Amino acid sequence: MLKIETMKDNERMSTQDLLLKIEDAVKNGETEFDIAASGQHDIGGPLWNAEGKKLFFHVTNAGQRVGSMCLPGTEIVVDESASADVGWLNSGGVITVRGDAGDTAGHCSSGGKIFIGGRAGTRTGSLMKHDPLYEEPELWVLKNVGSFSFEFMGGGKAVVCGEDAEEFASVLGERACVGMVGGVVYVRGKIGSYPKNIACSELDENDINFLSGGMGEFLEKIGRTELREKLSRWQEWRKLQPAQQNAAGKTDDVKSFHQKEWVKGGIFADVAKDDFEVHNTISTGLYRLRVPTWENAKYAAPCEFSCPTGIPTEQRYALLRAGKDEEAFQLELDYTPFPGSVCGSVCPNPCMEGCTRGTIDEPIQIGELGFKSSFLPVKPPSVKTGKKISVIGGGVAGLSAAWQLARKGHDVTVYDEDEHIGGKLEQVIPRGRLSHELLKAELKRIESVGVKFVSSYKVDKEKFASIRETSDAVIVATGGTKSRFFPWEGKEHLTMGLQYLKAINRGEKPKTGKRVVVIGAGNSGMDTCRGAYEMGAQTVIAVDVQKPAAFQHEIDYIESLGGKIVWPFFTQKITPEGIYGNDGRFIPADQVIVSIGEEPVLDFLPDDENIQKFRGSWLVPNKDKSVTSKVFAAGDVIKPGRLTDAIGDGRRTAWYVDLFVMGKSIEPFPEKQKIPAERIGKAYFDKCHHCNLGDAADDKVRCVSCGTCRDCKMCLESCPEKAISRIEKADGSWEYVSDPNRCIGCGMCAGVCPCGVWSIDDNPEEIKMYTTGEKVAG
Amino acid sequence: MEAVKTQDVGVNDLPWKIEYHAERCTMCGSCVAGCTFKAIKVEVQKKSMTHSEGSVPTPVHTHIAIPIIKQVASLTDFCRGCGMCEKVCPNNAIHPVRNPDSRKTLLSRDAGPIKRGGRTNLNAQRTLDSIIVGRISQMTDPSLDSARHTFDIRSPFGRVLSSKELPFEVVDGKLVQKGKTPPVHFIYPLIFSDMSIGALSTRAWEAVALAVGYLNEKCNIPIRMSSGEGGMPGNLLKSDYLKYFIIQIASGHFGWNRIIKAIPHMVTDPAGILIKIGQGAKPGDGGLLPSAKVAEHIQAIRGVPKATLSSPPNHQGLYSIEESVQKMHLSMNAAFGFRVPVAIKCAASSTSVSVYNNLLRDPYKICGGFFIDGIQGGTGAANEVSLDHTGHPVVSKIRDCYLAAVNQGLQGQIPLYGGGGIGMTGNAAADAFKMMCLGANGVFVGKILIQLLGCVGNEQGRCNACNTGKCPTGICTQDPRLVKRLDIDKGAQKIVDYVLAFDSELKKLMAPIGNSSLPIGRSDALVTTDKAISDKLGIQYAC
Repeated sequence: MLKIETMKDNERMSTQDLLLKIEDAVKNGETEFDIAASGQHDIGGPLWNAEGKKLFFHVTNAGQRVGSMCLPGTEIVVDESASADVGWLNSGGVITVRGDAGDTAGHCSSGGKIFIGGRAGTRTGSLMKHDPLYEEPELWVLKNVGSFSFEFMGGGKAVVCGEDAEEFASVLGERACVGMVGGVVYVRGKIGSYPKNIACSELDENDINFLSGGMGEFLEKIGRTELREKLSRWQEWRKLQPAQQNAAGKTDDVKSFHQKEWVKGGIFADVAKDDFEVHNTISTGLYRLRVPTWENAKYAAPCEFSCPTGIPTEQRYALLRAGKDEEAFQLELDYTPFPGSVCGSVCPNPCMEGCTRGTIDEPIQIGELGFKSSFLPVKPPSVKTGKKISVIGGGVAGLSAAWQLARKGHDVTVYDEDEHIGGKLEQVIPRGRLSHELLKAELKRIESVGVKFVSSYKVDKEKFASIRETSDAVIVATGGTKSRFFPWEGKEHLTMGLQYLKAINRGEKPKTGKRVVVIGAGNSGMDTCRGAYEMGAQTVIAVDVQKPAAFQHEIDYIESLGGKIVWPFFTQKITPEGIYGNDGRFIPADQVIVSIGEEPVLDFLPDDENIQKFRGSWLVPNKDKSVTSKVFAAGDVIKPGRLTDAIGDGRRTAWYVDLFVMGKSIEPFPEKQKIPAERIGKAYFDKCHHCNLGDAADDKVRCVSCGTCRDCKMCLESCPEKAISRIEKADGSWEYVSDPNRCIGCGMCAGVCPCGVWSIDDNPEEIKMYTTGEKVAG
Repeated sequence: MEAVKTQDVGVNDLPWKIEYHAERCTMCGSCVAGCTFKAIKVEVQKKSMTHSEGSVPTPVHTHIAIPIIKQVASLTDFCRGCGMCEKVCPNNAIHPVRNPDSRKTLLSRDAGPIKRGGRTNLNAQRTLDSIIVGRISQMTDPSLDSARHTFDIRSPFGRVLSSKELPFEVVDGKLVQKGKTPPVHFIYPLIFSDMSIGALSTRAWEAVALAVGYLNEKCNIPIRMSSGEGGMPGNLLKSDYLKYFIIQIASGHFGWNRIIKAIPHMVTDPAGILIKIGQGAKPGDGGLLPSAKVAEHIQAIRGVPKATLSSPPNHQGLYSIEESVQKMHLSMNAAFGFRVPVAIKCAASSTSVSVYNNLLRDPYKICGGFFIDGIQGGTGAANEVSLDHTGHPVVSKIRDCYLAAVNQGLQGQIPLYGGGGIGMTGNAAADAFKMMCLGANGVFVGKILIQLLGCVGNEQGRCNACNTGKCPTGICTQDPRLVKRLDIDKGAQKIVDYVLAFDSELKKLMAPIGNSSLPIGRSDALVTTDKAISDKLGIQYAC
């Protein structure tokens, strides 16, 4: 036993001298110390005996950090109270302070035991921790501890017995265990505030075993064995330790506040009906963003739209695909009486220019398809209406109207001043372009439905009045019959193109020069050129002020005969020697034929203020094609056009005339919009070689069927939600429907539809969520 | 052969390009069904090719047509980069990618100026990120423990009188109040600001309000929310929760008919009144609510038909600073019996200090706060030219106003609140702390709240479609189909959690500088590595 007095003659030994003296003594084998300290720091560690013997220190009047950094095998006993940091970083020593301990007792201790026989200061037990290689540290305090105790504690066991602490609101002070992540604090007595993440609970069997196992040693060390029984009433004890993290429970906090305490029904309940159900990003039914619609034949295919007659070729191919060939060919006749003469012969077929298939490889052969209806008989109307309709002019416009009206059961009579009915088809179109037999057959077919032809009948004012009087309606369709020309110098030398062509078709062989110039390079100009060559001309030159308007194949034909087109050429004067341009050019010619179009001759119409005209020549009809009471117009009397334009216009006029004579309300002539190109799925169709075109009817495979369902089932098979069904009807037609309860509005059907039949649009169904609220009195 | 003209709009002209992996796609349709902008569609593509089989050239032709998801090349139905397609795709087959070569803004003025929502995308650079809390208590003084210490995190809302002006006298040895004082509430220094009913869906507005209710009632955080200029929910006006709400009045005065009619039915006073003169996102321009969002209840609350609602740039009855200060403040004070503090909000401007000086000179002491909104504030709809090219950074403006008050010894008397981009880079607490060190009494936030609710928009051009009524998250729309996508509870919880973290983070910044109360004006706590910022703000330069 080495006894050390640190005060001699009022001279205090410094901490450094004391600690070095102890260290020397330990090295020399001393194991027991009795130190009468005078506030020196850090007495107790880290010290060890080389042979592993135990070290014992009895200390009085210790300074701060007594027992700091003690190693296992060291025991320290302080008889009275000790200053701050008792057992600081204690790593294994047994440290007993019989009185109170200052602040931060046991701070960072990670081993050994610390026994405090009184109170301990603030931050006691702070940062205690447990290295799993060693025994866990223990800190026993008989009475109570100051505030902020056991902060950041990471391990070990602390025991606060609450003896002689009734006067304190909390034996742990305020805000114990802040930042505590491990270990356990046993407490007997009142507990003040501690964080939410610290759980306070009853002792279990292990806890009691630990406490009852250690209590004896503790009380013995501090000399208070009489308290054993009092401190062993375990029901008076609690323990604090970090709570299990419960993340799941947390998310319900606001939800339950919302349900239980928030404004009932929500703050917007007066103006917004809301069930507060939360929908997935993708919904079906009412809550789909978009809905598909099967819009079969809503749009016109480009062929139908581009055809002035309005023939729905896509419908014909739909019938052909369905094996209904007869119906397909008959369908053509619902639109035109001239499938052979016009569609299949002289029509430039604007339908084919618009054809979608033409943007893939070659257009569908629509003209040839039309030809297949040339000689098809039709049934006369089964019911007659008794309405009498007169058509003035036996050209295509008048005959188209007559055809439509007769098939509806009206009595139709067509008057024409010419010997033969047929207008320009009969009189002007070169026979080389149109078979006369075919034309005659189609005219016969018109008669077969009941149309009466009255030819060589020139209608004048008087006759017109009489016809109008005795008819339910009159259609003026006399076309353009007077060649137009400008008052050029030498105009008296001109040959009128229309008269010239008519004479050829009558077989009269009109006088024709060797060198012919035709003014006008449109289609009728090309017909004139062709006529001149047929009549023996050696050279024919067509001149025009602008780029020739004729179809390329007509120009090609004339050029193949040796003809030339000269443009721009502005005629200045015509002489018996030829024609002069305004730029001084001279083209020698024996004959100059003018073919820049015709204007109508309407001298038979009554002097009626209601009859409106354009430039004094052309009729300007009302929306229903009427020009005055009971009188309607169709064709070139309104505007010069192609044959197909005249047929379409005749059909349109017939629509209104039918409504008129039947006394029905006027519905606009049905017309469809052209299907937008982007709706059509061209990608399905492989490009074919242009040599491999088959028969026109076989084009039913090549036809894209724009806007009309081809029953391919792509939609049905592609729908990701299997929402689409095909419904077959009794008449063999079908319909595709999408089930709103399955459909998510993705638009797969619209995207994969080759025909552009499916639409995908914003969900039109209104959701009545908002209101203006209810009026509140006051 | 494709018929494409060079001037046709292509996807490379758009701000976002859809990256699509056909090999991963199952054609489930979710992406197209979920896209509110119609920016993608289903299309069939062909694979038509001739290859050779065998040992000599033997052409074999195949043609298949495959459905794919394709981006729409349109200047109206264009991808906004919201990423809903990516979110719903089960196979990671699709997502938008920002396109640096976009020509969209250049090409999109056919129908007049470009409109959009969100924040400035051009002036999104941040002063606050160049400022560091650099004065840390080390050996000089102990820093505080943020978890243990008691912090005073309260700011005044209302006119604070100097001690000399307080109307107290001593009667029989007791301190007695002898006159009236302006109302002052001590509130949390973070205010939820100014997103109108109309700009937000009913659910989004209610979610923010619900978070306010919860934070006050359950978390002891006295946070306040400003209504925005679109009126107040009727049931909230009659509820006790009204005490947590600041009612805004802007130039359109929208919604005030119902607010006034509700006054007799109020069971408590509102937290305050905020007169909105302007906002940072589109200063000098009035509020804008596109017709697509003017649903029936908006029409009713605002008293207008379905039409695009433009608020005037000025309050129509105010012609000078003096009138704004006197007439408007007086009326709003009077409306609630001089019991409710009235504050004013302006867009930050070169003239902000003049305005603040005028407010400080007010002899009637009826201005209860000056809110300055910087260029990085958000909006539901604005002309892009206003968003990107007008406005003023808020940081130096707060500083200038604060120092102007300090020079007159009047600091703290009219509380200063700064907003516009607070929390833009994620940490509103750090932003708030720095703003307070520079002189703000608190900050206000809007955009981050809707971002917490689920808004995916940002200042790098993502989404920003708040003006279209097609908000994919159901926040900035009135379309019931989209509104129903929003979970109020989840959204409110997210805001609550953010604010609780904000509170802890604020303490984490107060503790190191040793402040247990808000560090208003403690510019000594800040340093910057940017010399220009150092010079302008008067904070220490460090490198």
